[in-house]
Amino acid sequence: MSNDIHPTLDELDVDGAIRETAARVDPVTRMAFMRRAGAIIGGGIAASTIIGGALPSLASAKSASGDIAILNYALTLEYLEAAFYKEAVSKGALSGELKQFATVVAGHEAAHVTALKQALGSRAVKSPSFDFKGTTGSASTFARTAKVLEDTGVEAYQGQATNIQARAVLRAAISIHPVEAHHAAWVAAIMSKGGTSPAAPAPAAFNPALDMKPVLAAVQGTGFISTMSTMSSGSSVSSNPAMTG
Amino acid sequence: MEDPVTMHEFDRDGAIAELGHDADEAVRSDGHSRASFLMRGGALVGGGLALGTIPVALAGAAGGGLSKGDVSILNYALTLEYLETAFYADALRRGRLSGNAAAFAKLVHTHEADHVAALKRVLGSKAVKSPSFDFRGTTADQTMFLRTSMTLEDTGVSAYQGQAPNIQAAAVLSAAGAILAVESRHAAWVRYLIGKGGSPSPAPSAFSSPLSMSAVLSAVRGTGFIK
Repeated sequence: MSNDIHPTLDELDVDGAIRETAARVDPVTRMAFMRRAGAIIGGGIAASTIIGGALPSLASAKSASGDIAILNYALTLEYLEAAFYKEAVSKGALSGELKQFATVVAGHEAAHVTALKQALGSRAVKSPSFDFKGTTGSASTFARTAKVLEDTGVEAYQGQATNIQARAVLRAAISIHPVEAHHAAWVAAIMSKGGTSPAAPAPAAFNPALDMKPVLAAVQGTGFISTMSTMSSGSSVSSNPAMTG
Repeated sequence: MEDPVTMHEFDRDGAIAELGHDADEAVRSDGHSRASFLMRGGALVGGGLALGTIPVALAGAAGGGLSKGDVSILNYALTLEYLETAFYADALRRGRLSGNAAAFAKLVHTHEADHVAALKRVLGSKAVKSPSFDFRGTTADQTMFLRTSMTLEDTGVSAYQGQAPNIQAAAVLSAAGAILAVESRHAAWVRYLIGKGGSPSPAPSAFSSPLSMSAVLSAVRGTGFIK
């Protein structure tokens, strides 16, 4: 993991939206943040439009910039997961339960990407390119990496729940959050053969949450993001991240 | 089953029925945005909570005072957690589980008991009492136990998911998220124990579906588990 291929936060955060939000949320008191949210949101999104996790379009001018940033943050994590499983499935190093897990979860993560891109419309960040550094090439490194990615995904969604301003966005995020937890427990169960060692599928009574900054630092630490895409098209056609593995 | 509990029996203090009105109707129809709930939540908890220490965060919410709606949601959650805790306690007491099913029941029982303790602590004197339960033999056989556990855990996930957007205090929402993830982990784990990753799938869908309070309560009544 040499530093030269680690993306900087600038590279990851194309529009500056993620860092802007992180900078705002952390130092500002929750109360002040919420008050501002009240002024921004203006009730422009109908909560009832969420069915089965479908997100409303947030491309309208009324959408709060904080929610856009949170959704783009989620989208970046989902791009990463979707690319990871897609590569693992296509490499063909998995068999049995892990292959089944990777196949099912690849479909889920791709569905999350699609839903988030749809919601964000023209404001969606583009997918970076990824280099999974060989972790998809063997069952054991795949499983360990999947567990880290899923645990992080759960903690990331959980950490944003109280920052989300629009109820419709919260409903959508909270329909994905449990699914990431399903994935995390599933891969842990495979690794532990259904038991509690080396990792219990449910290790604690209260799941930890992570703020945006430590999640982004962890993602950068993996070195999995090789380059930001320079895709110029604003098309909403699902763009499969480039595979460099 | 032949002896379903009525809503009245289940909801001894009337807190849950009240919420049905409070949160599902009044709150939604009065035009308040979620942001205004959060503002109230912020005013209640005073912004002084450390996220990441969930039970502590809940205790903080108690100290600052809880809205009526949040009290009802927390009592609803507490009732479901009482049910789950009693179910696993009963299964462990009967001693009919072995291997991974026994390990699962033992660990999950401690989680559910921790959820009960945290919810009771935040509710203080406003906490509903535990009903009495009769699990109708479902804890006496490993296969029945696993199937019933799956239903309870799946229902728990959908119940927390359904209430999250109705929660007013940020500290309560944080705690609900921390518990929601754990119920989801339980659900995936027991599904794995039943189907080894095949059927039922540990992750049956890309998006989890919420359940309203009335749907959950009617499912719980349908089990006949509450005496």
